[in-house]
Amino acid sequence: MISTQTDPVTFSLGPLLRGEAEVIAGWITRWTAGHTLRQVALIATGAGAFGAAMGSWRAPEQAAFAAVKLPLILLATAAGNALLNGLLAPLLGLNLRLREAFAAVLMSFALAAAILGAFSPLMAFLVWNLPPLTPGAAENVTAYSVMLLTLVAVIAFAGVTANVRLLQLLHRLAGGARGTAARLLLAWLAVNLLLGSQLSWILRPFIGSPGLPVEFLRAEAWHGNFFESLLNTLRQLWPEF
Amino acid sequence: MTSAPAESHPLTLGPLLRGEAEVIAGWITRWTAGHTLRLVALIAAGAGAFGAAMGSWRAPEQAAFAAVKLPLILLATAAGNALLNGLLAPLLGMDLRLREAFAAVLMSFALAAAILGAFSPLMAFLVWNLPPPVADSTTAVAVHNGLLLTLVGLIAFAGVTANVLLLQLLKHLGGACVAWRLLLAWLAVNLLLGSQLSWIARPFINKAGEPLHFFVPHALDGSFFVEVARAVSELWKHFNP
Amino acid sequence: MNESNLNPPPGAAPERSPSQPVLPTLPAAVFADTLPAPPPLPAAAHAERSLGEDPGDRVPIRGALGVIEAVLRHPRRVVFHLNQGSDISRLVGLLLLVALGFVAVYGAIVGSFSGGEQWWAAPLKITAGLAVTAGICLPSLYIFACLSGSAARLGEVAGALGGALALATLLLIGFAPVAWLFSQSTSSVAFMGALHLGFWLVATGFGVRFLKTAFRHFGLRSESGLNVWVVIFLLVSLQMTTALRPLVGPFDQTLLPPAGEKKFFLAHWMDSMEADGRKAPARGAAANRGD
Repeated sequence: MISTQTDPVTFSLGPLLRGEAEVIAGWITRWTAGHTLRQVALIATGAGAFGAAMGSWRAPEQAAFAAVKLPLILLATAAGNALLNGLLAPLLGLNLRLREAFAAVLMSFALAAAILGAFSPLMAFLVWNLPPLTPGAAENVTAYSVMLLTLVAVIAFAGVTANVRLLQLLHRLAGGARGTAARLLLAWLAVNLLLGSQLSWILRPFIGSPGLPVEFLRAEAWHGNFFESLLNTLRQLWPEF
Repeated sequence: MTSAPAESHPLTLGPLLRGEAEVIAGWITRWTAGHTLRLVALIAAGAGAFGAAMGSWRAPEQAAFAAVKLPLILLATAAGNALLNGLLAPLLGMDLRLREAFAAVLMSFALAAAILGAFSPLMAFLVWNLPPPVADSTTAVAVHNGLLLTLVGLIAFAGVTANVLLLQLLKHLGGACVAWRLLLAWLAVNLLLGSQLSWIARPFINKAGEPLHFFVPHALDGSFFVEVARAVSELWKHFNP
Repeated sequence: MNESNLNPPPGAAPERSPSQPVLPTLPAAVFADTLPAPPPLPAAAHAERSLGEDPGDRVPIRGALGVIEAVLRHPRRVVFHLNQGSDISRLVGLLLLVALGFVAVYGAIVGSFSGGEQWWAAPLKITAGLAVTAGICLPSLYIFACLSGSAARLGEVAGALGGALALATLLLIGFAPVAWLFSQSTSSVAFMGALHLGFWLVATGFGVRFLKTAFRHFGLRSESGLNVWVVIFLLVSLQMTTALRPLVGPFDQTLLPPAGEKKFFLAHWMDSMEADGRKAPARGAAANRGD
């Protein structure tokens, strides 16, 4: 569907949210530094607001840290995997240039950030209504569970929506070849999850444990990784593993 | 794939490996001393390289011995059975001259040698990764046996491929039924002579701790088949005391 | 087939009434002219164009950037130029040079895990290892290709292998930022080894796809021989990582393991995992503070 009120060159949030594949494909083929700046600003605002709302439960400093770190993860994932994503596109049958692949991924991240940003007032309201984080308090357990469930639900919604839109865009760019679009989306998802999960691990904490000090990065931030930690947990559960 | 007319092809490895029966038949009918020399050089290089790689596990001298002995067995088998192979052809219904029968057998041996030669770098890499031969070591015995098994596997692959080529060539020259008959007859007589020559020229790998010889003392004592019969008889006695 | 190209109805033919005029049988040509042409068969519609038909195939490949562009986006261009035979040695050299250059960069990323001497030892060993693996597998690739009916010469086979390696190592460069990040934040040798191995397998998969595309144009009749070769290549490359150890872990006084410590790669992996498992509890206590 083509939006009649949309300038086909200028980037705006509406067509991105509506998934107007033709308009978005137009942006990608005529991508400029201005487009990149707008997307970066959108990610910084949306993911930043969500991070701030999330971190504010622990302390105002934690809110500021999370507001910087959450957008940083999205941007670092897009930048760190730019070459790999650009290589995977032609190898999996979609002849995108490096810049176009980067733009497509960045746009899906921007969409996720916009959704997170829209939910950030709700998140802030939730935090305002939760009991404050105090070490050893019994009510913390219930509050923590509510917070975690809400976070998972909001992030999952934003992630799924962004990927559905990305799939529609790839489908359009592949000239209707569903197999190619799905294959490429899965490959991008796999590599972005791999890098993104490790970046999130390094940049922890986002909410912050009440028993630990408020820090931008933990002292042992560069020790271990998400998957290693998972393996260690399994080893502790089953020593013979 | 269509082949160019036979006369435009000098004797090269490509058509031999691809089993281009028409081209090979053209070589056989216009056989020259140059063709024989080329095939002898191919056998010396291919089987020699494989022999060297195989023998290098035990010692550099053993590598040199095996590099000479392996091609020698192939050439001696082709030469020793040249008359018999040439006689069998017309007797079994294929009107081949003595020289043509010799050329066909030599060509199949050359193909086997080329395949062995192509595998010799892999064999050398395998040997490089094996524990060195240490006398009275159980590991060395296991490695020796493993090496023997690899050797048998590779020689079987090269032999089967060479015989498939020979069969295609014989089918081209005289029809399927005669080709099978003649191939089986040639196989029988070549195996008979070849196995005894291998017995005389033993060892090719040599066990750890055994002295190095080009030929073992009393190389001409016994025979491959007598040894096989003795082994079977001992096995029988072991299970039926 | 009857003359009119139409089948008679099943059962006995109906009796003709005497008043019914005898009509001449229509010639087959009438139907050929009046019936619409059948749609093309699917195979024919999607048949691959022969080499050189597409003008993009004929674009010259210049320099390392030209090689990267060609292996990534226009594999047929590489195959076309290899097939042409003119200046084949330059193209093969370029492909191999690109592959070795990329793998050296990736080797530095591998070495960054342990640092120290591994900064130079790991890239050196990985580059040499890839060159040796390619060298010892090339003759058997030629043999398997020819046995499967390919008309490729040794130079073309070397070019196809060079192209596959260039593509695989290019993909490794794509994985390099991820590998670097994990190298800096992980202390488990087994985990890092598995990660590099996973990247190598993915990259090799794409390289093999390039190789098969090239050999299809070189007249390959069956892929079974090529598949056997791929298994051999993988075994050699995996064993090479053990023969040249340590690649990931700290430098161990000598460049290569002593002659008496030869190991099969599966045994080496098991040993590494056991050694890693012994260190895991101490490491886990420090790193598991994932709040």
